[in-house]
Amino acid sequence: MVNLAELSKAVIEGDSDAAFELAKRALTSGVPANEILDKGLIPGLRQVGDLFEKGEYFLPELIVSGDAVAQALELLGPMLGKEGTPSKGKYLIGTVQGDVHDLGKNIVIMMLKGNGWEVTDLGVDVSPEEFCSAVDKGDFQILGMSSLLTMTMPNAARTIEALKAAGLRGKVKIMVGGAPTTPEWADKIGADAHAKDGPTTAIVAAVLIGKS
Amino acid sequence: MRKLSGLERVFTALKLQEPDVVPHFERIAKKVREAILPDASEEEFVEYMDLDGIRFIDRTHSWSYETVDESKRIKRDQWGGLVRYTTEDNPVPMEPAIKSERDLDTYVPPDPDAEWRYEYLKQVVERFKGERAIVVGVTDIFALGRENFLGDVGYFRAMVKNPDFIDRANEILLNYQLRYIKNCIDFGADILWINGDWAMTERPMVSREFTQRFLAPPFQKLVEYAHSRGVPCIKHTDGNIWPIYDTIIDAGADGIHPIDPMAGMDIGEAKAVFGDKVCLCGNVSCAFSLVSGTVEEVRQETREVIRKAGKGGGLICMSSNSIHSGVKPENYVAMVKAIREFGCYPLSLD
Repeated sequence: MVNLAELSKAVIEGDSDAAFELAKRALTSGVPANEILDKGLIPGLRQVGDLFEKGEYFLPELIVSGDAVAQALELLGPMLGKEGTPSKGKYLIGTVQGDVHDLGKNIVIMMLKGNGWEVTDLGVDVSPEEFCSAVDKGDFQILGMSSLLTMTMPNAARTIEALKAAGLRGKVKIMVGGAPTTPEWADKIGADAHAKDGPTTAIVAAVLIGKS
Repeated sequence: MRKLSGLERVFTALKLQEPDVVPHFERIAKKVREAILPDASEEEFVEYMDLDGIRFIDRTHSWSYETVDESKRIKRDQWGGLVRYTTEDNPVPMEPAIKSERDLDTYVPPDPDAEWRYEYLKQVVERFKGERAIVVGVTDIFALGRENFLGDVGYFRAMVKNPDFIDRANEILLNYQLRYIKNCIDFGADILWINGDWAMTERPMVSREFTQRFLAPPFQKLVEYAHSRGVPCIKHTDGNIWPIYDTIIDAGADGIHPIDPMAGMDIGEAKAVFGDKVCLCGNVSCAFSLVSGTVEEVRQETREVIRKAGKGGGLICMSSNSIHSGVKPENYVAMVKAIREFGCYPLSLD
């Protein structure tokens, strides 16, 4: 029997090979994929988030832990689908128009996926029209917008206005984040929540949809 | 005190002494310059505003680019990676040059000795040498490696999993930049502005251990070479540098910019803790007051920066990053006027 705490430890240590092997052994020994996710990967990733919050982990440690989760999810992903395990939710994300920074956004994606979200990434430099179109066509619970530059922050506000104008604002909760952003600014532009970094995003997103 | 030239003013501040007036220079987006002085070149603008120096960066003035997709404004930079131009004047990295360690085996770096790289510097030297500080921006080895060469994810991953890969990449980049700064100094650069973030809003990007292992040594080599030629170095990094400021100072920085207020860095506290070791360069907010404040708010914030950090010298008053295109032109003018209004030594602001 595989001890799923070992899998959590592999995630915390950023050991991709061990994460893959442990997930494989757990599957082989009959542990359901959703249990491997809930009792192995997610607790590991939460611990990584805590260590980041405490200032003991930095970006390199976040990246290699994310790699470990990604390795395990390569195995579990198809199984999760087959078992009909519900995902935490569907999250649409992009960096706002005029901004091509994606490191912060990619860390957010990694944290969301590791916590059981299905994530659709619109990439960088996403116009309000592109955000609106994706919200309209998709079935997302949350739209997340990232802005790394002070001069592109107004484009998050423009996107919210465009969603309102298109009658789509009520369809999604909106989260904003990025280095220059603040909770006060998020509130001012009419977003539902602000998250300052990747680990926080996963926590705030779950709270927003009542699945914390 | 006699009226100093801009160059003398900046050098005096960098020596942690009091000049006649708190010095000021900036990198200013074309949109803002145009609004203040239409159809003028950067050098004409510097003269019009009587700035104490002129600053430009290697990415925009000394690197080569070839167009990949004109409509999307995507180009390939001289290192082999892709960059994209936004509304700012900066090319922003999109895709790194090196995808795996094997790519390094056959990698041919660009030629730092190509004459065209120094054309703008020569032009500036001819116009300003001896009068205003000629400040050449040199991309930090960490920033170059992370943004253009290996990419953020590849770089951070290799720090943990394959440190030799970082060492090999750093050696290539350092050889280029050492040659580049040698040439810049030969052609007349007065000050090196070593550009590249080591920190984020909340904390440094990497641990103190990794900062000392990977970031500081190549930075120190650039500084040591510049110092051997009598050229001071200002280190630019946004973010909260409280956990690593001593590493930057120990590596030999003469100035630190911008003492990022958005990251909670208070310039008065920085003055008290390390203002006797390094010149402080900053920190009027280009995220808030310069973008959305009133002229009076900018005037008061500038006064406060000088009050907190100007005493005894060792301050170059600047924005908290650069005068980007979102800055209100009238607010930039207000900041410059306020520096001259409140920055005359001896200060009497308390």
